[in-house]
Amino acid sequence: QHKNATTPNARAYAISPTSLSYLGPSVLGKLIETNCCGVYDSMQVWEHDGPAQLHFVGEDLEGAINEGRLVNLQQLLNDSTSNKSTGRKNRPWLGAVIEDAPFVSAVWDELRKDDRIDLLDKIQVKSIKAPNHSDMGKIEPPPPVDITCVRKGVNDEGEEFTISSNLLVAADGANSFIRRTVGTFPMITRSYGRMAVTCTVELDTSKSRMGMARTAFQRFLPYGPIALLPVWNSVDSSSDREKESGPIYANVVWSTLPSEAKYLLSLSSEEFIAALNEYLCQGPNVNPSLLPDSNQPGGPPAIPLLSTIVREIDSLLRTANTALTMGTWTEAPTRNFFRMPPRSKKVVGPIMGFDLTMSHVATNGGYTSPRVALVGDAAHTMHPMAGQGLNLGMGDIHALASLIKEAVDSGMDVGGTNLFLDRYNEERILKGWGILGGVQFLHEAFECTGSIPGSITEHENATSVGSVGGLKGLIGYSRSLGMNAVNGIAPVRKALAEVAAGASPRLFP
Amino acid sequence: MLLSSNTITKATVRKLLAEKNWKLALSSVPSPSLSALAHNYDFSTSAASSSPSASTNSNPSEVDKFSSFAGHWWDSRANPLVGMNPIRIRFMREVLLAQQRQQQQQHPRHDGHNDTPASPSSLPLLHGKRVLDIGCGGGLLTESMARLGASSVVGVDASSHVVEVAKRHSFHSGSGLRSCDDDGDGENDTTVEDGIRYIGGMTVEELANHHWHYSQRRRRRRRRLSENPSSETNNRDNHELFDVVTALEIIEHVPDPTSLLRSAVSLLRPDGILFVSTINRTWKSYGMAIVAAEYISGKVPVGTHDWNRFWSPDEVERMVCDVEHGGDSGSGGATGHEEKYVMKQVGLSGMVIQPPFVNLKWSLDPLDTDVNWIGAYQKR
Repeated sequence: QHKNATTPNARAYAISPTSLSYLGPSVLGKLIETNCCGVYDSMQVWEHDGPAQLHFVGEDLEGAINEGRLVNLQQLLNDSTSNKSTGRKNRPWLGAVIEDAPFVSAVWDELRKDDRIDLLDKIQVKSIKAPNHSDMGKIEPPPPVDITCVRKGVNDEGEEFTISSNLLVAADGANSFIRRTVGTFPMITRSYGRMAVTCTVELDTSKSRMGMARTAFQRFLPYGPIALLPVWNSVDSSSDREKESGPIYANVVWSTLPSEAKYLLSLSSEEFIAALNEYLCQGPNVNPSLLPDSNQPGGPPAIPLLSTIVREIDSLLRTANTALTMGTWTEAPTRNFFRMPPRSKKVVGPIMGFDLTMSHVATNGGYTSPRVALVGDAAHTMHPMAGQGLNLGMGDIHALASLIKEAVDSGMDVGGTNLFLDRYNEERILKGWGILGGVQFLHEAFECTGSIPGSITEHENATSVGSVGGLKGLIGYSRSLGMNAVNGIAPVRKALAEVAAGASPRLFP
Repeated sequence: MLLSSNTITKATVRKLLAEKNWKLALSSVPSPSLSALAHNYDFSTSAASSSPSASTNSNPSEVDKFSSFAGHWWDSRANPLVGMNPIRIRFMREVLLAQQRQQQQQHPRHDGHNDTPASPSSLPLLHGKRVLDIGCGGGLLTESMARLGASSVVGVDASSHVVEVAKRHSFHSGSGLRSCDDDGDGENDTTVEDGIRYIGGMTVEELANHHWHYSQRRRRRRRRLSENPSSETNNRDNHELFDVVTALEIIEHVPDPTSLLRSAVSLLRPDGILFVSTINRTWKSYGMAIVAAEYISGKVPVGTHDWNRFWSPDEVERMVCDVEHGGDSGSGGATGHEEKYVMKQVGLSGMVIQPPFVNLKWSLDPLDTDVNWIGAYQKR
């Protein structure tokens, strides 16, 4: 399908190096050679009302790769398709953005090659009969799970047939039919109160293209981040100075309030691009003052002595934060000063919007039920801001596949005893809650602003922001301070990058 | 005259044969061939109630301990043996593959099937092998070995109650694992027996004895019918022996482990491998297997193990490898002279629980045999 597409599809996933390694060298090589991946080896994250930024680079992962805690993707691929740009050869990847359709078709092609796998297409599942919890651990093994299906025939209703299986893996997404039908998976669902607007844009390449092609940008606005992710750059030709041909594309994911998202969706292409450039292409600001507007210099002080002291402390903190940020800009050897993201030229393809909800199995349940296991979005969903949703699912799959292999190698029935299902739960549930909690923490930390957020809908008033002050402002300060700390203290920054990349944690730091 | 099961002895058989009472001998004496033992011979009334005597190497109170636990045998949350199964099989896999590689190096095959030593065969692990599981219990290991492609699987246990559990579980586990208590097979030398044969209420000494009787009878019959003994008949005698004999977690529960191991060795085919696993007798094992497992965490019912019956790898190696002087009852050939075999240890590993100790996660550690350990011994 990719062969027919001339522009990237906005439906794409962010994949970590660990998840890429699970695909196997042949699928991965195929995706890279057909230029379906948008590889990024540096990532810049900054806030709208503070000076701080986070700058992750591929070198942050080198420690983990050398210690063997993270897969060395370049080695895995026997890299002939590696980054051909000078000076950045073999820089470890932080991740890649892969479009949905070529990804799925590459995996299906790989599955078709293996004749131990029966691929059934155009099937509708009518009913599922799975054993109960009380059937497990008894003298008789639990009955196999029966899946009654209908092959969609010419007359729209083919004949029914039943598949019996030792284990049913539910990988059918956030609204999983299997999970709802089996019915033993209580879920906790919470909406973030946000919608994500996504599309593909063509970048303005009139300025220099060097160094931008493999960078991901994410700016946190009051209600959510705007992310600009590279696509279609795995066969990298943009570094050739002579070869200026070919447009450079990027994937945009803009998370914001539903009202604002709907406004964005209603805009024309040109207006959307203007809004995008306006809200993305701004650099760090000074922290807003802790004091409300009425106490700004020049205005009459409300309580004279106290407010003078607070004002001095306030300006001290702001200066400190700014200075800290600029201090990290000189960190050799990567020279992580702020780089302005590229401006977009036009939108290609449709602009899509979708709701953002968080979900996970409830604490009194697990990812498994007798003879049934949930993987991926069927078990958990989250905000896309950290790009962890699919990666967590790939980790689930890897763990479950290892357990199935162990069961088969041991001549045991993988779904028939609680042994393997309990181990799957033990390995994955805590991790799922952990990543969900981390994303929730990011979500809430970046919400707390010290300024009245400029509303996009009232476009003409967007630049007039005021200072709210008080507790929210303090949290804003701490966030800036925290970001500076993470960015500046290399071990902390590297640890964060490793978690996002799916590396195993170091046991003794 | 129908002989009751309790009175079958060597003497009776000899008496009948001396009387040239073939028909009666053959019809009244239940066929001692292993393939029909499960069908015809029911020891369940005798073993469980008798006091430990010299003839039965089983302690009835131990047997009862396991019989009462039988209902939970297959519950992985109640029975730690379920969790140990994968690494026991992994150890067996390592040893068997190493042996196969060695054999291929010594006898390279010229028939076009060129398995390089490095590449594993696509056949299942126990393809074409006959396996015997001593102390099979609820059939955990027995079923696994059947699924791994063994051509004939026999499980024997002193408790007939637990073996009933095994039969029920295997019966429902799908085709190929049906335990054959419905079709009584005759003495068919070349049968590829499918399904698992469970023999309950019998110790392995009794099993080995019956096999000895059987092979002696056949030898006498051949001599009487003036057949020329040849190596082919020697092989036919060996056909009822086993390629793999497993005695996992059993020798710490019997009064006389030496006799159990001797019988196990006698049932081994030449080049067959005996797997033994048990718990080592160290302070660490007392702390882990008795105090921690039984009293603190309650994972194992109190009183399951007796620390004084634990065995170290060296002791077991001595017990197994000194056996050839004890008279192999099964490997005596029809050629008339006893062929001498020695047992050699070909593998040893410890089985350790990885922290955290909540959901018991086992792994093989070749260096740490302080608590649980498993060893492999080959008959050469």
